[in-house]
Order: sequence, then C-alpha cells, then structure tokens
Amino acid sequence: MRYVAISLIFIGVLATPVLSYADFPKPRITDIHGQAKGREARVFFTLRQAFSPEMVEALKSGIEISFKTVVRVERVHRNFFNARLGEVTFSRSVRYDALSRVYHLNRGKGAELFPDIFTALAGMTQYEVIVPLAYEVTRGKRYRAHVRARLDKVGLSEPLRSIFFFSSLWDVETEWARGDITAP
Amino acid sequence: MKGNPRRKPDLSPENRVAKKRRERIAIGFVAALVVGLTILEANLAAIGGTVTFSSNIIIFALININVILIVLLIFLVTRNVFKLIMDRKRNILGAKIRSRLVLIFISFSLIPTILLFIAAANITTTSIKSWIGSRVGVALTSALDIARGNLEKEAGSLTGMAEEAASALLRKGEKVSLDAALETVRGGKSQGVALLVVGKSGVLGRSGDVPKEITSQIGSRLKGVEGNLRRRGALTFVSESYVAAVRLLPDGKAVVALKTIPPREVSKIREITKAYDEYHQVRLLDDPIRASYIATLILITLLVVFAASWMGIYLARQITVPVQMLAEGTEKVASGDLDVRLDYQSSDEFGNLVGSFNRMTADLKEMKKSLEDTNVSLSATFEELRRRSRFIETILTNISTGVIVIDRTGRIAMINRVAERLLAIKMDKVMGKPYKEVVREEHYETVRTLSREVVETPGGQVERQVDLTVGGKRISLRVSVTSLLGDDGEYMGLVVAFDDLSQAMRLQRIMAWREIARRIAHEIRNPLTPIQLSTERLERKFAPSHADDPAFAECTQTILSEVGSLKNLVEEFTRFARMPAPAFKEGNLPDELRSVVETFRSAHPGIAWEFEEEQTPPVWFDPFQIRRAMTNLLENAAAALGEKGRVVVRVGHEPTLRSVRISVGDDGPGIPSGDRDRLFEPYFSRKEGGTGLGLAIVSSVASDHQGTVKVRENVPRGAVFEIEFPVRPKGGG
Repeated sequence: MRYVAISLIFIGVLATPVLSYADFPKPRITDIHGQAKGREARVFFTLRQAFSPEMVEALKSGIEISFKTVVRVERVHRNFFNARLGEVTFSRSVRYDALSRVYHLNRGKGAELFPDIFTALAGMTQYEVIVPLAYEVTRGKRYRAHVRARLDKVGLSEPLRSIFFFSSLWDVETEWARGDITAP
Repeated sequence: MKGNPRRKPDLSPENRVAKKRRERIAIGFVAALVVGLTILEANLAAIGGTVTFSSNIIIFALININVILIVLLIFLVTRNVFKLIMDRKRNILGAKIRSRLVLIFISFSLIPTILLFIAAANITTTSIKSWIGSRVGVALTSALDIARGNLEKEAGSLTGMAEEAASALLRKGEKVSLDAALETVRGGKSQGVALLVVGKSGVLGRSGDVPKEITSQIGSRLKGVEGNLRRRGALTFVSESYVAAVRLLPDGKAVVALKTIPPREVSKIREITKAYDEYHQVRLLDDPIRASYIATLILITLLVVFAASWMGIYLARQITVPVQMLAEGTEKVASGDLDVRLDYQSSDEFGNLVGSFNRMTADLKEMKKSLEDTNVSLSATFEELRRRSRFIETILTNISTGVIVIDRTGRIAMINRVAERLLAIKMDKVMGKPYKEVVREEHYETVRTLSREVVETPGGQVERQVDLTVGGKRISLRVSVTSLLGDDGEYMGLVVAFDDLSQAMRLQRIMAWREIARRIAHEIRNPLTPIQLSTERLERKFAPSHADDPAFAECTQTILSEVGSLKNLVEEFTRFARMPAPAFKEGNLPDELRSVVETFRSAHPGIAWEFEEEQTPPVWFDPFQIRRAMTNLLENAAAALGEKGRVVVRVGHEPTLRSVRISVGDDGPGIPSGDRDRLFEPYFSRKEGGTGLGLAIVSSVASDHQGTVKVRENVPRGAVFEIEFPVRPKGGG
C-alpha cells in the first residue's frame, strides 16, 4: 500500500502538462503507387492532413516545420514472409521568409522558393521517391511499398526552443500505409 | 494504545557497510545518469537545432540535475515522511519530536514559497501579455515593412537597368555574346550591380560577381513566379541579402539586374526579421508558453517545498538521533548495562553531550568494577571475620565457663549460654544494655568491688570466688575479670569469666560426708553387737525373775529395737560411704527404668505410674547405680503422694548435647523453695524416719555419670527431679 501511494505521488508530480490541441483528422498516407525496375523502385504517395490550421499559422509565423518519411519496399510472399528489398529515410522542411514573402521548401536538393503557401505545402505533401533495392526486381512479381511519415522538427526561435525543450507542440505521425507497386 | 517508547533496532556493522555500499552505488548511478542524459540531450539538440553543443550543455546539465534532484528529493521526502508516520504509529522513540520539527519546517517553507509562486506566475503572465501586446506587434511589422519598402525601392531602381539590358540584348547582333552585351550596358554605371540572363536551363550570361547561392535562389524564384512574370513582363525580388529587378525577354529568357546588400545591412535586416518571427511565434504560442512557465514555477516551488521538507527531516534527525541515542543509552545504563558506547561523531553540542555520556558510562563502569572489587575484598574479609566470630562463638558456647564482654561504654557486648544459664538472664534482653542496669541490686556491690579492683590492679585482672543467690538458688562462682586493652593501651572494655563451683563443692561435701559416714559406721558398729548380745542375755536370764515387772521387758525391747535401728543406720552409712566407682556398660536405658517403674506399680497400686520414652540411642551407664537412684526418686515420690496420685517418668534424648535426661514428676505437695539448695546434701530430710541419704545418693550417681541432678516445681503442682548425663560418659565404653 505504501509503495502504491509513493508511485501515485510520483506520477502526479512528474506528469508535465500535456499540450494537446483540438481534435484534427489524423494524418495519413494515401495514393501509394509506383514502379520497380532493375534495382530501384519509384514510389509515389501523398501525405494528407499533415498540416493543421495551427501548424499553418505557425508556418506563417516563421516556424520551420520538417517531416521525416520512411519508405520501405518489399517483395510480397505468401504467408506474410515478405522480404525487404530496400528502405530510404528522408526529410522535407518548409519555412516562410516574411521579408521576401516566399516559402523556402527543402526537399534535399537545395532550397526551392515559392511565393504562395499552397505550392509550398504541395511540395511538402506530394512525394516521388526513388528507393534503391538490394537486388533486381522480377517482372510480374508482387512488390509493395510501406510508407510512414512523422513530424520531425519544429524550428522554433532559440528562446522558445529552450522553453519547449521537454514538450512537443504537435504530435503528428501517420500509421504505416502500404500500396502495391508494379514490376512491368 | 500508548506504551513505553520502543527502540529502533540497532544496525549491525555488516548492515552499516551494506548500506554505505548501496548509497555509493546510488550516487554513482545518479552521476552517470546526469552525464549520460546531458550528452544525449546535447547531441539531440545539436542534430535538430542551430544552437551549439557547448552552449546547450550547461542548460541541459542544469535541467538534468534539477530533474534528478527533484526526483531524488521526492523519493527521499516521501520515504522519510512515510517512515516518520510509521515510526510515530509504532511509538518509536523520538518520532513525535521529529514529526513536529518536520511540520514546522514545512509550514515555514510552504507559505512563502506559495506566495512567491503566485507572484511569479502573475508577473510571468503579465510580462508575456505585454510582450505580445499590439504595440510591439505594430512596431515590428512596421519595421519589417520599412525594411522591405527600402529594399523594394532599391530593387525598383534596378528596373531601368534591367530594361536597358533587355533592349541591349534585343539589339545585339549574332556575333556579340550575351556577356559582352551585358557588360556594355553595365560598364561603369553602377558599382555592385550585376546583370544576369536566365533561361530555362539556368544562367545563360552574366556581368558582375554574384554569389552562387544567390544565383540559385534567383533561378528558383523565377520558376515560382513564371506565370506572374509572363503576365506583367517585369518583377522585383527582395531578400535580406540582395534585391533584383527582372525583365522578361520575348524568347522567354529573363534579364535580372541584381544588387547584393552590404553585410552590415544584411545583419540589421536579419535582426528585424528574427524579431518579427519571434514575436509572431510567441503570440501564436502564448498559452503553451505561459503553461510552460507555470509548470516550471510549479516545479521550482515543489523543489523548494521538498527541499525544505527534506532539510526539515534532516535537521530533525540531526537533533533527534543523538537524543534518541542518549535516551536508549540511558535506558540501557539504567538497566545495568554499562558497556554502552554511543557511536555519534559531531563537533556540535550534541557531539559534546554524547562524548560526556560515553565518558560517564566509562567512569561508571570503572567505579562499578572498583566497587565490585572492593565488595569482593570486603566479602572475603567479612567472611573471614564471620568465620572467626563463629569460631569464637562456638568456643564460647561450648566451654563450661560463663563469659560476658562489656565494651568501653559499659554496655554488654557479648554473653554466652553458660553465663545466661548461670545468671538466669536472657541474652536478647541484656545485649547492648549497660551492665549496671542488668546487675541485680543485691549483686551490685559485688560487681562494683570487682570493677574497682580491676582498675586498681596492675595488669588489669582480678580473680575471686563469689557466692550469689540466683533464682532462689545459692551458687558459688569463681569470677575472673580482665580488662581489655588495645595495642596502644587504650581501654576497650572488660571480659568477665566465671565458673560454677557449686557442683564441685557439692562433690567435696559428699566426699567429706562419706568419710564421716565411714568413721561413724566403724565407731558405732563395733559396740552395737555387744550391746545387742548383752541385752538379749539380760532378757533371757532375768526375764523370768522380772515377769511381774513390765518395765524390765519394755526396757530390754527398747534397747534391742534402738540397736536394730542403729544397725540399719550404720548399714545405710556403710552403703553411702562405700559407693563403688560406676561400671559403665552399653544398654537400653528405657528398659532398665521401665522395670523399676513396674516394681513400684505393683507395690503402690493406688498411684498412677506413667512411663514415657522418646527415641533413645544405646546409652553407656551403670545399671545398678541407675536403678538405685531411680528407686530412691520413686520412693520419695510415693512417700510424698501417700497412696494416691500420679507419677510420670520420662526418658528423653538431646541429640545436640548428646545427652539423656530422666525426669520423675509427681503431683504431690512439692518442695519448698528454701529446701531445694540443701535437698541433695546428706542427712537432710523432711521425711519422718528418713536418713537423708536417698537424694544424696541420687546426686552422687548423677555425678559419677558426669551428669547433674536438679529439682524444679511441677505444673500445676508437685515436683520434678531431672537427671541428665552424657550418652557416653568419659571412661564409658
């Protein structure tokens, strides 16, 4: 009984205030498709409902937002004994420059500048990824891509970063989504 | 339920070592945790943020230490509070005062801390509100607008050059390169301005130096504004590091006139932008920031409260632990355990107190040991003295001499049994009393004379024969009074020793009487026979001639009768005078006596003869003499009773004295007290026709058996004669 009481006190004291936001549809990955050829697979998918209105507001306030995405390609076998062929992890980030009034989108190939948010967000949510494979794909066989994305970093200004060091402003993470890719 | 305070069990040395080991491990673990977490967090931050590792590490370390300290404090405080509650419930010694002190500490820390928390929370909220107030926002927005306006103005100034460059490019011949054409336009007009021709494939021509990253940005921006540029034909770009004017050419290429911003201005613009961004971020995250600050304040408040609580517990323990140790130690000392040593090291007053306690117990132990040694020594001495005293007492008890010791104050310090018996006094009544109070009035003069003579005599010793009457009985004593002197000649008291000479004198008298009796018998017996023969001859010869004279016959008969009586008397005298030495032999004394009693029972049937005997061992005695003495006593009893009465004969044994006692008691008229002294002397008789030799013979028999005979009054009436002699007299067996 004594130890239960001690544990309850610990939990009560240590539980930091959880900054939860209004309910918003959960982010998800859709439209996964693609083609595998030789030793690479080209996978297309769309990240939906990743940016809540608060996040859009934060973006407009100069907060850099980045997503980390994992794409995994595997050969589909019977009885779930699928074999992984390849996997890539990459990040995309976007930030707004209030002076030049452009959005800086970084997709790993240098900054791309867009004057409107829609174009910038489209760049953040529509993906075309090339996944190197461990060996060449076989024509006519089944292949499948698994994709998962989560909010990686929120680029707060320095004083705010120390304030929110132990807490996350938004908890954005998709479930694993999957889609077949063809091997023509 | 209240009871005596319980003690906490002491930790054994093994447990103490284990506890210290656990504490060291815990400290090491926490230190490692702090270092590990700090490095981990710093690495995470370095990956994701722009702040350097070295800048963050202090903050992270502080946060870690803070969090770990809080966790530790919470654990310690909670554990100690529960322990305190449990101790109080179990009535552990010191728990009450400890809980009281902790309560006081918590109360004193809680109130100001809560007040401080409320004030700090209000100040924080107010500060944030004032920071995100409209004035700051307007100012920052205006500053950014001004900066942008200036940049756009600067960019607008480049529009002419872009137009001119576009015209120049349209005019140029096939043989003139783009770079040359641009150089012609730019040539010497404006320092710091560059011209670019950008096509779909990138930069096609340039004049002037442009950083590569700016070129890249220009290309990217042109892609983003492609439609807008096509509609308007010309645009301007502003940025913190450059301004540019763009003119679309008919072939889809664009001419860009670009000017880089001096680094000093770039820095200023960047600061404005940064402030603008921060402001908007703070405004956006107003509530979370406030909540975060409040949470931090709560954390600090809790830290202060728990720290104060822990400090309270710690201080309370600092106070109560030595008090508890002292209480337990005192309890042990009270129960006799003087090996108590309190293990408490401190330089404060409690340390001094514990040190004093330890010294006190050590001194007590030493004193106890010394006392025990002294006690052992005293016990040995006492035992030796007691042994000696008992030895002296035994000697004094068993000697036939009466001894009285009088101390220097004249009080009786010791008296033995013989003295008690001879002087007819009780030890418990005279011990410690002045001898002058104990001495009877009629003896006082004798005692005073002796005392004076002792003082006056050199050597301090006087010996005298004294005749006293004790209990109506005359006794002769040889008294020896000796003055006790210490080693230094100091007067210590007197020792009075006295021997009873009565028995010896009696024996002397008996011996004298025996000699007289022998001589009288010798002198009387010789003429008696001629007298008797002559008288008988006279009677035979002259009786017939004097038949008518009754006086003749009467006279001769009287002579013969008196001669017969004299013969009897002489016979008695002879027997008394010729009493032989006793012939001791071992026998059954009660059987011997019972046969004598039986003889008298048949001879005097009117008297109730009773015989009582105790368990008696075989006795060495002369049966003839004992029967004779017994016969004399029973004859006297029968004579005293006439033919009616009761005679009780008892035979008893005294194991301690190793003697036998024969008593003959009757319920006759008894013996007057005045006659008792002379009763055993020869020729003393109150009986008509008695020779006065019967009891003298009894006394002689008793003396021959190394015993005594005495007479006392019977209760309720009559007299009791008692003969007492050893079971085995000297010379017997």
